[in-house]
Order: sequence, then C-alpha cells, then structure tokens
Amino acid sequence: MLSYVPGVSLAHRLDPRSKLVVQIGFAAAAVAHTTPVGLAVLTLVAAGVLYAARTPPLRTLWAFRFVFPFLLAAPILEGVRWGSPWFDLEAATGPALAGYRVVLVLLVAAAYVRTTPIRQSRAAIAWGVPGRVGRFLAVGVALVFRFLPVLRADVGRIRDAHRARLGTDRSVPEQMQLISTAAANRALDRADRLSVAMRARCFAWNPTLPALSFSRLDAPALAIGFALGLAAVLV
Amino acid sequence: MSTTTSDVELVGDETALNIARAALFASLMGAFAYVSFPYPLSPAPVTLQVLGVFLAGLFLGPIWGGAAMVVYLLAGAVGAPVFSGGAAGVGVLLGPTGGYLLSYPIAAFLVGVIAHGGLDLGALGTASVPRLLAAMAVAVVVIYAAGVSILYYNLEMTVRTAVVTGALVFVPAELLKMVAAIGIVRSDAIRAA
Repeated sequence: MLSYVPGVSLAHRLDPRSKLVVQIGFAAAAVAHTTPVGLAVLTLVAAGVLYAARTPPLRTLWAFRFVFPFLLAAPILEGVRWGSPWFDLEAATGPALAGYRVVLVLLVAAAYVRTTPIRQSRAAIAWGVPGRVGRFLAVGVALVFRFLPVLRADVGRIRDAHRARLGTDRSVPEQMQLISTAAANRALDRADRLSVAMRARCFAWNPTLPALSFSRLDAPALAIGFALGLAAVLV
Repeated sequence: MSTTTSDVELVGDETALNIARAALFASLMGAFAYVSFPYPLSPAPVTLQVLGVFLAGLFLGPIWGGAAMVVYLLAGAVGAPVFSGGAAGVGVLLGPTGGYLLSYPIAAFLVGVIAHGGLDLGALGTASVPRLLAAMAVAVVVIYAAGVSILYYNLEMTVRTAVVTGALVFVPAELLKMVAAIGIVRSDAIRAA
C-alpha cells in the first residue's frame, strides 16, 4: 500500500506546492511527447525524481499492479490480426508507448505520495482553493485519511459476519445490497457522532494550518516543473 | 497562509453534519474499492464503487453527494489509498482508468438531481422505481462515456477496442448494482434524513 513514509530525502524537504508543479508538468510533458525519444528523456527525469524521493521503483510498481491488465491488453488487442502476419507491430506500438507513459506518470505521483505528509497536502489545498470550498475540501481530505482505516475495518467485520451466516450463498445483487446497507448505516452513524464531536470542539471555517513556505531547495524543483510544462507546449 | 487570531467563524450545525457525511461517504467509497465480488461475465472483479456513487447521490442529495465524490478524488490524489487495489496519487487520475473516477462527482450529482427532482434533498420513499432507474442509468452512461473516452485517448486504442474492454464487459455488473440500489431504497433500511 502506498502512503507517506517519514524521511529526510530532498523531496521530503520540498514544499508540497512545488512537488505538485513537478507532477503536473511531468504528466503534461509525457502526454505531449509520447515518442521513444521523449519517453527515454522522461524516464531519466522520473529516475531522478524517484532517487530524490528515495522511492523504490519495484515496490511502487507492485502497488499499482491493478493497472497492468489494462496496459498490457491495449497493445495486444490492437496488434493481433486474424491471419498472417498474426501480429501487427506497428499498430501495437502506439498503445505500448502510451502504456509505458502511464507507468512513468504513476511512479512520479508515487514519489509525491511517499514524501508528503497529509497536513501539508491539506494546507496546500486550502492555499490553492480559496474560501469555504477550499476549507471544506481540506477538512474532508483530512477526515478521509482518518476514517478510511476505520470504515475498511467496518466493512471487513460486516463481510465476516455475512460469510459466517452463509450470506455468500445468496445472489450477487442481494449480497451487494446487504453489505452496502450495513456499511452505509455504519458510516452515517459515525458521521452523526463526528459532527457532534466537531461542533463540541468549535469546528470553524478558519483553523490554523501549518504555514507553507518555499525554501531555496524549491527553486530547482519549480524550475524543473515549469520547464516540463513548457516542453509540453512549445517543443 | 496567514494565521487569524481575532475571530473564529463557526461552521453551522447543519453544514457540519453535511460535511461529516460527505467525508464519511468519501471514506466509504475508499473502503468499497477493496470489496470485490467474483462475477462470471466480467474479466475484472466487480467492486462496489459505482454503487457508492449511486448511494451518495440518493442519500446525500446532488450537492453533498457530488461534494463527497470530489473529496474522494482529492484524497486519492494527495495520497489516501482509496482507488482500486489501494492505489493513490495524481497518476491514477491521469492514467487509463482516470475517466471513470473523474466522472463520479458529475454522476453522483445527476443521480441526486433526477432522483430528488431538484437540488433539494427530498423524501426518497416517494420517488418511483422508474425514476430511480432513470437516475442511475444516466449516471452509468456518464461514467462509461467518460471512462471509455479517457481509456481511448490514454492508451491510443481504436474506439471499438476501448468500448469492448472499457464498457461492454462491465455493463451487466452495473445492472446488478442498480438492482441492489433499488433494493436498498425500497427496503428503507438506510436512515439518512
């Protein structure tokens, strides 16, 4: 599972906003230059990003294994022909390059996830989206981090109980109905208690979040991010 | 960001409850991403996620249901492991399956608007079954239209391959989820309002 890991790498010390600029610039450049040369250059950039974030590439790829069926299916389905020569390499090249591009974008995004604590992301959201909408999104995101493990455990217990009572013998729609009803009721109960608790603690539109500040280290990161973005538009 | 110390602007009671519900539904979407059912017609396992989109629109209404989905996507983008198989990061949203995910807020909003006949949260018990079905059918069309377009664009497939691998094999499973959602609303087992 991919999540924040405390550390002292270069990427850990960067401001979250400059890391977001790098990610978005990288994705834009990858979409604009899905050619063998473009992707070769971007592979080097991605390797640099992973090194700066001390992110192990193979374990990260394992965390994204669910996308690989899609990535492999595309070139195979496009290339296969009914009859000689059975496989059209040219038709498969485009989808294969596009699939490789996806892998690079996922790796760079994983470096952000591994090196950015949630409080900083929350502050970056409140900075990027002004007003109450931004505050709502920042609070919501923080609550998802808090409650995801809780609700996963709830759903796990519901499924255990369901199995123990031979619920798995029922039809699939019935199973979905039973499990999601129980899960949604648990979630709504928790929401009721949470809102009471938040009001009791003066839940406000203007809380104090960690101050974000750019340091000297951010200058090269921002430069790389903007350069990648420009490369997508100009080159 | 500046720190204000002068006055505290409290969140209203009803809004606080809605924020809590939206955040919890967003987390529930994340938990549903881990629940999969083996399903004979589809090569990929079927998760409960689209059912979560339906329920958000039905029980939170268009505005807060849509908002819950935005929170879900944003949390995933900044690193909560809420996407299929515990994945996270902006890369997933920009990747081949990003179209499905990005359409969730619109889909939840549409489910809410059609089922409740407007932006306000009405009583679901009064909504007819055809109306609920129409709401969910529109949402499924929106989700798959967005999903297939991004799949097509992202992996440079032909349209036919994208439609087959990205939509046709999953449609029967969506019908099951619609049946389940109707069952949930009819059974009146979820007490939201």
